[in-house]
Amino acid sequence: MIHRDMICPFCGCLCDDLVITTEGNEVVQVDNACTLGTHKLMGAWKNRLKNPIMRDGGEWRDASYEEAIEYAAGVLLDADRPLLYGWSSTQGEAQGLGVSMAELLGGVIDSTTSVCHGPSILAIQEVGHPGCTLGQVKNRADLVIYWACNPTEAHPRHMSRYTTYADGFFLENAFRDRKLIVVDVRKSETTSIADEFVKVKPGGDYAVFSALRAIVRGRADVVPDTVAGVSKEQLVRIGAMCKEAKFGALFFGVGLTMAPGKYKNIRNAIELVDELNRYTKWTLTPLRGHYNVYGSNEVFTWMTGYPYAVDFSRQIAFYNPGETTAVDILARKECDACLIVASDPGAHFPKACLEHLTKIPTVLIDPMHTVTTPLCRCQIPTAVNGIDAGGTAYRMDGVPIHVKKFMDLGYPSDTEVIGRIFERIQEVKHP
Amino acid sequence: MRIILTMRPRKNPFIPIEAEGIVPSILMTGAEITVWEGNRERRLDEVFEVAVEGEAATVEEVEVVLRGDTSRLKRVGEYMDGGRITVEGDIGMHCGNFMKAGTIEVMGNADGWFARELCGGTVICRGDAGHYCASGYRGEKKGMTGGRVEVFGNAGDFAAEHLAGGEVVIHGNCGDMAGVEMHGGTLSIGGDCSRPCGNMTGGTCTVLGCAYGMIPTFQAKGETNGPDGKNISAFTGDIANRGKGSLLVRRYQYLK
Amino acid sequence: MSDLLIKNAFVIDPINRINGEIMDIAVRDGRIVEDVGQGAEVIDAGGHLTLPGGVDSHTHICGTKVNFGRYMSPEDMRAGREARRGVKHSISGYSVPTTYANSYRYAIMGYTTLLEGAMAPLEARHTHEEFSATPLQDVMANTLFDGNWGVMEAIRDGDIERAAAIVGWTLSAVKGFGIKLTNPGGTEAWGYGKDVTCIRDKVPHFEVSPAEIVEGMIRVCELLRLPHSVHLHCNNLGKPGNYACTVGTLNLAPDLNEKRQTLYATHVQFHSYGGSDWKTFCSKAEPVAYTVNNRPQIVIDMGQVMFGKTTTMTADGPMEFNLYRLHHDKWSNHDVELETGSGIIPVLYRRKNLVNSIMWSIGLELALLVKNPWQCMLTTDNPNGAPFVKYPEIIALLMSKKYRDAEFATVHPDTGSKVVLPALERELDWNEIAVMTRAGQAKALGITGIGKGHLGIGAEADIAVYPLKVDEIDPSTEYQRVIDGFAKTKWTVKRGRPVSRDGEILVHGENTTIWVDPKIRPERDISRDPRFVEMFNHWYSVRMSNYPVQDEYLRRNLRMETEAAI
Repeated sequence: MIHRDMICPFCGCLCDDLVITTEGNEVVQVDNACTLGTHKLMGAWKNRLKNPIMRDGGEWRDASYEEAIEYAAGVLLDADRPLLYGWSSTQGEAQGLGVSMAELLGGVIDSTTSVCHGPSILAIQEVGHPGCTLGQVKNRADLVIYWACNPTEAHPRHMSRYTTYADGFFLENAFRDRKLIVVDVRKSETTSIADEFVKVKPGGDYAVFSALRAIVRGRADVVPDTVAGVSKEQLVRIGAMCKEAKFGALFFGVGLTMAPGKYKNIRNAIELVDELNRYTKWTLTPLRGHYNVYGSNEVFTWMTGYPYAVDFSRQIAFYNPGETTAVDILARKECDACLIVASDPGAHFPKACLEHLTKIPTVLIDPMHTVTTPLCRCQIPTAVNGIDAGGTAYRMDGVPIHVKKFMDLGYPSDTEVIGRIFERIQEVKHP
Repeated sequence: MRIILTMRPRKNPFIPIEAEGIVPSILMTGAEITVWEGNRERRLDEVFEVAVEGEAATVEEVEVVLRGDTSRLKRVGEYMDGGRITVEGDIGMHCGNFMKAGTIEVMGNADGWFARELCGGTVICRGDAGHYCASGYRGEKKGMTGGRVEVFGNAGDFAAEHLAGGEVVIHGNCGDMAGVEMHGGTLSIGGDCSRPCGNMTGGTCTVLGCAYGMIPTFQAKGETNGPDGKNISAFTGDIANRGKGSLLVRRYQYLK
Repeated sequence: MSDLLIKNAFVIDPINRINGEIMDIAVRDGRIVEDVGQGAEVIDAGGHLTLPGGVDSHTHICGTKVNFGRYMSPEDMRAGREARRGVKHSISGYSVPTTYANSYRYAIMGYTTLLEGAMAPLEARHTHEEFSATPLQDVMANTLFDGNWGVMEAIRDGDIERAAAIVGWTLSAVKGFGIKLTNPGGTEAWGYGKDVTCIRDKVPHFEVSPAEIVEGMIRVCELLRLPHSVHLHCNNLGKPGNYACTVGTLNLAPDLNEKRQTLYATHVQFHSYGGSDWKTFCSKAEPVAYTVNNRPQIVIDMGQVMFGKTTTMTADGPMEFNLYRLHHDKWSNHDVELETGSGIIPVLYRRKNLVNSIMWSIGLELALLVKNPWQCMLTTDNPNGAPFVKYPEIIALLMSKKYRDAEFATVHPDTGSKVVLPALERELDWNEIAVMTRAGQAKALGITGIGKGHLGIGAEADIAVYPLKVDEIDPSTEYQRVIDGFAKTKWTVKRGRPVSRDGEILVHGENTTIWVDPKIRPERDISRDPRFVEMFNHWYSVRMSNYPVQDEYLRRNLRMETEAAI
């Protein structure tokens, strides 16, 4: 069977033009997706955990959904400071349930934002976000900057769908008329196709942004001859290119959010874009990693007021990244139970955090065995959003797309499982 | 009047406790206050041994003393409006939030957001302070607006972020980006720091040690006399942000 | 559903010409009926003022840009926090509240139906998700067409039927309610950082003018037989001297519809400015009101500014950028491909600021100078002029010259020479207030037919009982009692169920989304038109099949089908 206009559940590009061919309950071909998306879709219908598993002494044993859900509800209810983490690779409906559950429990809810583009949000909270939808970039941009990211490898179709290689309504010959600047600390696949490659010393992005802002303002006089390994001559040239563009689009990744200064780097990028908007048109977009991490920000925000790291222990929403973020809470050994949904902290978090996860009751909701599995006491497999579950996802530019389910493998969705855990918690709290 | 609160040992000493009721003017009334250990509400005397000595007619005569392992005790002194708090050990986050008057002295180390959004009064840390010492809150333009913060040890990153008024003195070193976004008040750093005063638009910052990763968009104004009488380099900026702040550094190094 | 009887209600129901009568209101299955039996739940209104549930015809509560406003403003979120209690979720937000906060606060004020001021079709799904989390009010969405490529091309080519086909298809696809135009033409020009300054300017590349867009869309609206008229945010919002543009725009509107206005101009306070720069800035509410008074086919809403902090957010991207240039505060922008734009920036309106004082006066002047209350609705363009929780203060100002004078004494001393407010003696009465806060809004939106905005038999049982005894209050002098009275109902009843009592939220709620589905002849189905499909495939960044909002996004919903004339 051929399914058209399907949505890829991998990265923040949220491509919606995939063609997936199935035979029975097998995916046999995927067209239009990049290697990352193809790989996920070709593989994620198999290799699934067959049923919930629970620790028994040093072993794993099978368990029913009933038992696992009861166990999950129990450990969360007992906890004085439960943490509900993950949320980026599941549907919006599940994210909303997570928020309501955290509120009732008096726990903390956080998403993978806090280890990825959290700093982008912190910067936006200081200076705002001069953005647009990706179609605006595609149709208008004659200058694109990729800063501290490598879309060729991490967001492979970004350039063909939204920037360099895409057709643009206002551009006669888009590929020829668009210029590309790539800024990075080292050469990469993306730097190799740039019209201008700016090599910055690690940790030097902030200084480079400051220098560019001064140059754009007409104060090149204060800028030294080199800034973080970049010559003033190149900086002046880049500044001029930016001011002469009709429409500039700046994209950036974790090379910037996780460099020293974190959100200050992003803030400086935003302030540069703001300055450029006095002369011409510029926008900025964070290259979100997970296909629905932005969704977790949107859902958490309209429900709690805050985009991630929300602490409900006082029955009121409190937000303070650095204090209410998962990595900090785990590293400080603050939480005494943890529910992980749709993410893989075992692969990403510092060792101290992982050690703590093994010491407290941790429940994982994930379709497959991952490196997070050994840290938990219980894992509940669910359907994969985009394959055997559907729901809303928000693209990196905020456009909401309905991710479609195209097969049924007998697994409940995250929404169903979390819904049942929540129901159980409600029964106990409000008998 | 002295109110001595001694932390009882806890089964799980890692769960943070929020104790915004530990403020001289509240405690002197003898009112029943509660603290929160994670999501559980506890009476003050469940968590502390409470001993009260003497009386007080005004809050100025009240001293609250905290003993035991108070390193995870948050929001002590929040909105404080007079009197004194002495912490004999370490103190948790958000000590002295929004304080208007009075004195807080921490003999040990202070965790993050020490003296956040301070309006008045004096807040002292004899040990080291964590990140965001004397800073503001996410999204607010103004951080600390008045009063005095003094740290005898080192401070972490983003000290005095969004400083709008008052005086911040760090005797030791600061981490990264001290005084970032500052637009008023004074910040004095006795030791070294990294990338001070990014985006500064006003106020004065003095660094008696070395400023590493000096922000390239500050304009050199020559040499002048430092607060210790010795030579110091003067800069104004941050030009990238149309700033007219004053940054004085004994030594500095650019990331070239 | 159970029966309900509200006894001893002092009813003002302008649509049914009831102007202060004590009566009982009987409710069954969510509708007002003749009477109910013995088993009914009884509420004693005790002779207090009872009105149809409030209707807000222009408020920004749900969608992409509203949520942007929230997550970029943690300082606004923390300023409006309340803890969870009972059925009431914890809430956050002062000027941009969370969806639950909006819903509870509106319910406490007696409002039961809300029109979201702006929804970009491409992002409609987001608006609908937030609608589901605004449980105590029925909701509907003004759908943005001001920069719509397909529509601009059709109007340029003089093909109004094609424009109607596109608008009709889009409204059905995204479950929208009506046609919204925000700075028509300007939002497309902003795609490259430009704007339009005159209604005769041509939009770059598309070669249509704002005047042509407005006139064309008015005709489209009537062809589609939409319940609500074109809803217009004029060009040049906020600029000194813009009143001329506003009057010129209002003069474009023909009178094409017997049942309602042909043009609804929104937050007109922001469009009634005289002078040529900030120094000569003054009120031109008079000529604008004069135009409205002579044109029954126009309805406006105030867009009242109140002093204090708030957040501005509109689809008018270039205007928000100008505010950023003026105030240097944090600024967000979000242009939506092929459709529209948006911008957000927090503001502080201050009495010490002469321009702000003049703005404050102008909104009130409009409401007092427009003679017919059915032509001037009470709004603040929430939250642009002020958060909606300030409506009770505005009501009090309109009902009391004394209150206006007292407030006027606190604004900038030079205001008097720039405005006419001090000379206006008029005090609105209870009936006029009822019109401006519900009956008139329902009529303007075209929803009286489905039972909104009145308390007649068959109406939806959306009822607000206010702690005000009309015979025992002199609103002219006791303005604080008026404010307190309208701030918190004794009872708010939604679809026959009490949802709020003395400020306490009673139930979780399950609202209805009202949307319009124009029935168009199959030959005019634009989704089969190759040019339209090609535009989609080529220039949008989503596939056409993924664009329409799926049915599952609407839970309870009311589909208003219209017989389009194409």
